[in-house]
Amino acid sequence: MATPQEILIADRYAVRVAQPQQEFGGGLPCFAARDSHSGDTALIAIQVRRDAPARARPLQTLVHGIEGLLTPLAHGIAPAPRGEAGYFVICPAPPGPPLAGRLHPWPEAALIAFALRPIALALEKLAGHNLTHRAIRPNNVFQGQPGQPLVLGAAWAAPPAMHQPALFEPPYSAMCHPAGRGDGSIADDVYALGVLLLTLALGRLPLPDLDEAGVLRRKLELGSLAALIGDERLSPLISDLLRGMLAEDPEHRPTPALLLDPAVARSRRVAARPPRHAQRALAVGGVGVSDARTLAYALAIEPEQGITALRSGTVVGWLRRGVGDAALATHIDDVVRHRMSDAVTDEGHPDAAMLMLAIAVIDPLAPLCWRGVALWPDGLGPLLAAAGDPALARSLEEMIATEAVASWAMLRTERCDLAVLRLEARQNRAWLATRGPAGGLPRLAYLLNPLLPCASALLAGRWVNRLTELPTAIEAAIVANPNTAPLDAHLVAFIAARGDSRVESETNAMTGATQNGLALSELRLLTQLQVRYYPRPLPALAAWIAGAAGPIVALWCNRPRRQELTEQLKALAPAGQLLPILALLEDPAGRSADAAGARAAAAELNRVEAALAGIAASAAERRRAATRLGQEIAAGVGLLALATMLALAVVG
Amino acid sequence: MATVARRPRRHSLTWLQGLGCGAVVTLLPAMALLLGVLLLPGGLALLYDRQPGRPVARTVLLCGTAAVVAPVLGLWNAGNTVDACLGLLGDLRVVGTAWSAAALGWILAELAPVVALVVLEATTQARAAGLRSEREKLKAEWGFEQEQR
Repeated sequence: MATPQEILIADRYAVRVAQPQQEFGGGLPCFAARDSHSGDTALIAIQVRRDAPARARPLQTLVHGIEGLLTPLAHGIAPAPRGEAGYFVICPAPPGPPLAGRLHPWPEAALIAFALRPIALALEKLAGHNLTHRAIRPNNVFQGQPGQPLVLGAAWAAPPAMHQPALFEPPYSAMCHPAGRGDGSIADDVYALGVLLLTLALGRLPLPDLDEAGVLRRKLELGSLAALIGDERLSPLISDLLRGMLAEDPEHRPTPALLLDPAVARSRRVAARPPRHAQRALAVGGVGVSDARTLAYALAIEPEQGITALRSGTVVGWLRRGVGDAALATHIDDVVRHRMSDAVTDEGHPDAAMLMLAIAVIDPLAPLCWRGVALWPDGLGPLLAAAGDPALARSLEEMIATEAVASWAMLRTERCDLAVLRLEARQNRAWLATRGPAGGLPRLAYLLNPLLPCASALLAGRWVNRLTELPTAIEAAIVANPNTAPLDAHLVAFIAARGDSRVESETNAMTGATQNGLALSELRLLTQLQVRYYPRPLPALAAWIAGAAGPIVALWCNRPRRQELTEQLKALAPAGQLLPILALLEDPAGRSADAAGARAAAAELNRVEAALAGIAASAAERRRAATRLGQEIAAGVGLLALATMLALAVVG
Repeated sequence: MATVARRPRRHSLTWLQGLGCGAVVTLLPAMALLLGVLLLPGGLALLYDRQPGRPVARTVLLCGTAAVVAPVLGLWNAGNTVDACLGLLGDLRVVGTAWSAAALGWILAELAPVVALVVLEATTQARAAGLRSEREKLKAEWGFEQEQR
């Protein structure tokens, strides 16, 4: 049974943060976990980083276990070691320690039986779900006992391939930002499996003396197979298998299904055209370039010098004369000329676009490269989540605003789904262009990362990645600091991304930055949030609204009505329901009557002012009238006296 | 040839008044003397009042005439003689009454406009105070004062 204070994930799994299991996390923080229903303690909880969200699709798809793979059992929020909120993915504990700490040369039969076949089978099942693993590396592959099949570790608590070393990634993935490698394809897992087989065959990691950049450079210069195997002697079977598995082109690698039968897999030969090497090297920003692949890489990592080399014609000349590839040179020349004409018309970011397209033309296998950032389009979401660096965020914003993904995809239509990428690029651009706090990069980051927690500073470290959790978090934030405004730009972007169409329309209506006090649009949004996602009292939030509703109350013209509204708000706040507060403040009929009353009062005021002005202006007229009247009265009195005297005289 | 509109000719009655006065002086010299002395303030008022319609002179004359009715009847009953006329003129009460009445008429003609002005201003100011009160009430109720700032 769970202890009363324990917070359970999925009402079932308890995380034991006091029992770290570092070696099982594949490089991520990992702790023991326990199933409170069955009492099973052979579980682990892998902690998710705030800026590196867990992979939503595998977590939703893998509801049934896969043999040879640590599939997720649940995921959710639980207290982390230092007491702050954490997010954990619960998996079965691996059968033994990872391979990383006990590498030794494996015989060929063991490689096939305990490494290749079980992992290929797991990958085959993953591919059947249209998923990839992207975390096959020695510290994330486990073996219970010698002679038992290997088990792949969990790969769900971080963006795909984020923690993969360059050694275990295809070069075109390794050159990407770690968060921007994307789900990739199962062929990328086959590549990593190939490197794992090589590691086990050698009994050590290949290229031990090189750092990440060196490994990548070596792979690009020599090709992965030559770079990794070098002069090592391998059995013919393993050597044949690795030739296919480490192919540069993902389409040339065998499928996991094919690898289940190594004899067939080794016989599959796909001839790749060897790259043309130049007789003399070209230097781009200090990077020596000897063929088209290394040129594309140099342009990708040295964008400023690359743009200069492209504009000056150095690259075209070198391709034509040094490499002898006139067709490629002409194609690059066309791209450069076209983009330079765009520069004259000041359209978009012509230099960055020119460089991106040139790289795509020079090496069609290369990822999208924009201003020194390389990524695969399906890695855009995690990269946005990790883009804490303002320069990186600015680059990504430019890239999305110019629909660079669509332009890039048009140059490699045979390797991607152009229609889908173009549609996504347009959609991303539209979201980015949404005005107000509900648009921009934050909204895009939340939209593309369903499990990314809200990064609002108002939530003070609380882990909120669903709207059902947000109202309570806001309530708690206001209880902790009653002066805290319940909405900021991050929260609005988060709500817009996670909410349904009604909530989205409310967020889109918020055109300006959130201000001090409360606007009616913010109140509508908070009300929708409570009504749709948390229909329980929020007294602290309601009290804050009652106190901050001044700007909304001020929309009413009638002062006594304002006072009355303020009193009613104070009376409604303790109930914690926002809908009556909204109804009170919105009240279309009352507002209409108020406006009509204000118009009538203004007309009445004008009439009074005019009357007062008339009185002030008619002093002389009054004086004349008084004189005339006085004289008439005097004459009348005189006449009356005369008539009286005459009457007296007649009478007698 | 352009036709010039002929202005209606104003006929002065001064000659008729002079003829009347001359007839009275000729036919009733005692009566003329009595009236001339008793209505002297009215005559002076006519002479000095330059306002249109001579409102002051009109009141002075009306009041003076009211005081002259009794002496005129007395002279008429006494045969309309010069002696009777001088007798009446020698009576200070007769002359004093006539001139006092003329003086009262003058005072009335001077004071009545002032009183009328005071009354009219008081009424107007009361109305203005009511309007100002209404204005302040509207401003307080609808917040026009703040908006004007």
